[in-house]
Amino acid sequence: MDTVFKGEHLLPGQIGQFFIVLSFGAALLSFLSYYFSTTEDAGKADSSWQRLGRIGFYINSLSILGMGVCLFYVIYNHYFEYHYAWAYTSRSLPVYYIVSGFWNGQEGGFLLWSFWQAVLGNILIWRAKSWERPVMTFVALSQVALGTMVLGVEIFGVRIGSSPFLLLRNALEGPIFSNPDYLSFIKDGQGMNPSLQNYWMIIHPPTLFLGFASMVVPFAYAMAGLWQKKYKEWVGPAIPYALFGCMILGTGVIMGSFWAYESLNFGGFWAWDPVENASIFPWITMVAAVHVLIVYKNTGHSYFTATFLVLISFVLVWYSSFLSRSGILGDTSVHSFTDNGMFWQLVIGVLLFLVLSVVPLVARWKEMPITKKDEETYSREFWMFVGAVFLGLSCFHLVVVTSVPVWNAMFKTKIAPPSDIVKHYNVIQSSFAFIVTLLTGVAQFLKYKKTDVTRFFITTGIYLLFAALVTALVVYATGVYKLNFVFVLVMWGSVYSVIANGKILSEAFKGQVKLAGSAVAHIGFGLLMVGALIAAGTSNIISINNTGEGFSPEFAKEQNPRENILVYQNQSVKMGDYLVTYTGDSISTPNIYFKVDYKKVNAAGKVENEFVLKPKALINRGQMSASPDTKHYLLHDMYTHITMFYPVPAALGGPDGGAAAHDEANDDKSYDAPVSHEVAPGDTIKYRDGYILLKSLNKEAKVQNIPLSDSDVAIGAKLEVVTHGKTYEATPVYMIKNGNVFDFARKVEDAGLKLRFSKVIPENKKVEIMVYQQPESKKKFIVMKAIQFPYINFFWSGTIIMVIGFFLSIRRRKKEVKVA
Amino acid sequence: MKKSAIFGLVVIAIAIAVIISVYSNSSTYGSFDDALKTKSELHIVGHLNKSKELFYDATKDANYFSFYMKDNKGEERKVVFTGTKPEDFERSEQLVLTGTMVGNEFHAKKILMKCPSKYTQDKLEVTEATAKQASI
Repeated sequence: MDTVFKGEHLLPGQIGQFFIVLSFGAALLSFLSYYFSTTEDAGKADSSWQRLGRIGFYINSLSILGMGVCLFYVIYNHYFEYHYAWAYTSRSLPVYYIVSGFWNGQEGGFLLWSFWQAVLGNILIWRAKSWERPVMTFVALSQVALGTMVLGVEIFGVRIGSSPFLLLRNALEGPIFSNPDYLSFIKDGQGMNPSLQNYWMIIHPPTLFLGFASMVVPFAYAMAGLWQKKYKEWVGPAIPYALFGCMILGTGVIMGSFWAYESLNFGGFWAWDPVENASIFPWITMVAAVHVLIVYKNTGHSYFTATFLVLISFVLVWYSSFLSRSGILGDTSVHSFTDNGMFWQLVIGVLLFLVLSVVPLVARWKEMPITKKDEETYSREFWMFVGAVFLGLSCFHLVVVTSVPVWNAMFKTKIAPPSDIVKHYNVIQSSFAFIVTLLTGVAQFLKYKKTDVTRFFITTGIYLLFAALVTALVVYATGVYKLNFVFVLVMWGSVYSVIANGKILSEAFKGQVKLAGSAVAHIGFGLLMVGALIAAGTSNIISINNTGEGFSPEFAKEQNPRENILVYQNQSVKMGDYLVTYTGDSISTPNIYFKVDYKKVNAAGKVENEFVLKPKALINRGQMSASPDTKHYLLHDMYTHITMFYPVPAALGGPDGGAAAHDEANDDKSYDAPVSHEVAPGDTIKYRDGYILLKSLNKEAKVQNIPLSDSDVAIGAKLEVVTHGKTYEATPVYMIKNGNVFDFARKVEDAGLKLRFSKVIPENKKVEIMVYQQPESKKKFIVMKAIQFPYINFFWSGTIIMVIGFFLSIRRRKKEVKVA
Repeated sequence: MKKSAIFGLVVIAIAIAVIISVYSNSSTYGSFDDALKTKSELHIVGHLNKSKELFYDATKDANYFSFYMKDNKGEERKVVFTGTKPEDFERSEQLVLTGTMVGNEFHAKKILMKCPSKYTQDKLEVTEATAKQASI
């Protein structure tokens, strides 16, 4: 029964699996020990439970590192007997992508998540002091939950988790696995999905997972506060961690958006794909939470809202990981994973933390410091609270729509998401964004507790008016006014936010440095919204073409924009302000880069601006995967991507490869019937795409590898081909050797020509040149899409400014903790 | 009434408005048969008929792509999509189309494909591997 398989390297997997079990056990030990250190040893300065909890957590951290090392070893050495290595990497994969192969699969993602959680846990053990015991109880519990996800162990017939060290022969069924020598048949792995072979995939997932992982810290503090009835004290130390989570998760999400923009072909930076939405749920709620936490800290109001938002953020991290990993989004998302057999385990994960959050909220309901008195209407805390609630509502809307497949599964309904989903999201989310951006300005002018009302109304009024003027200008100049009115409102709110917070920032420079963080973060957010609005709202597809033949009368009537355009090589096409020419390509297996030349010609016919873009296509097993190329300017981007090209070069497995190319008769088939011309030097031959000039005849032509004797003759016809403003040289050769006549044709690939020097006609001193032209349909062409994104740099720079703002706030709030 | 109570009511009203707007905006999953009966846009789940022609000729029209899809009830229709042929289209195992019927053709505005092989590439290409072995 037991077959001995040859060539397998089972040791790294066994060590890795050992570390998996060890890390799970250690996390469990740490959780229980911290639990007892909080309950049994309460009040004791020295607790042996706490020591045990720490040891457990250290072992857990080290085992996670061990798992990582083993997995890396397996991938790096191309041990394809492991499913993970086989499924996500291949021998040809460069080393730096081996790193990203590490988190290509779901198991690697969980590993990364629990790695970051371990790092944060160690920081808490080091810094949290009296909070360590209760807080670490929840961090350790979260490590236990993540540990089950990679366990890969069967208990009572149920497989728990999916291990990255699963062997290929256990993962797949196949007759070859009964062969003890099966490994010698598996020469290479499946390789990485081409769209993931991008440098952003090295940095984006670790950042995103650090963001997700850091949500556990404020959650643990909030839970610890409820559990230990320290309702007020947990807020101070939790705020810097909450800000940190917002900063990192926000960065990670925008990195993903930048990756999509730079190297995917969905033509934009945000597509409202369910997986994208899921990644910003916890960000929105945590940003809202930070605001009410600050409100509570300063005024004692909004305790419940603050706690609720912190707790729900962490639950949403689990929910978003359920959405993207359980396969439930199959019909609505292009990015989601398919089910790994862990559907119910993920559901349990979400429910565990949901129940865990609800129980103490209910149990401690009566004791919670909920204020009976209303906030003042003209107080900062009230409007910060309103803003946070609107952020929560915006997240609520995202959750409701993104979860449509979940509702269908729960209630056995068959609702489909709105058919124009992007518009749906844009309009509704913009309404929330309008209110939120307005409040980011208004609340800054108010003071905590009580504000001088007249002065507030005057300043706010002036700034709103000024913002409205600026907005009117911006909206008119960029064309945003042509869109739905709600976008104009968001523009107004965002401009107002930038201006109002600019004022606050100027005060910060005058001495109130404390204010700088929030002002900078809000300015960043405002700019981000401005950039997103203009770039997405007024992006201009310049490759519109309505020249198609129209296959059916119905189709011809369709109002859909025809966004793709066919461009033959060396034939310029006018697109927008540009004259676009496909000038050639270069192959670097398995990629093919297309040179697309953009020329801006002014009225006087002078070239104002010229640049070359090189969008690429990757050929993998006969399938194409394209990546765009973008020219960045300060105020706009020019984006181009290939949707199809012809022909596929032989080097990449195209049909021209192999024996056919060497076969003369076959070769001629790819040309139209030749046309013969009798010409003398100096004559020109006209053809479809230009003309050919016979410059001279060279009596001493040489052909490689063919030695000539004195009686042999070889004549070269020096030809100059001029087509579409380009000039090429070609010298076909006519030869008489040992009394036999040969001729050597020359091809001008770029012009789609083959030229033969077929005859010498001594009577009238002319020669015969045969011109083979590729038929129109055989000419090289690309089908491309070109989009202009105006002002997109506001989006990216806004993000960077916002991150700086978060960073400044973290420093400020950390200082406050030390003082307290 | 307290201000917080009023605000609470506003929030609840907005939440309800959100749910209603999502529900009224939402479309339905259906079959080609359903699509014939309605003018509004539908989502249709089905799979590509790989034995029939996939037509895309960029030299004639770079934005015309047609194919035949069988919906989950087994009905087959010609589908026309304004755009290029999506990458990996032949390998798709399931398609979700969004669009309307125009005459006898279904005009798709959006095509969402599921190629399980793209994410969990659990298909061992034994033939390819053995061929390589033989040539060594």
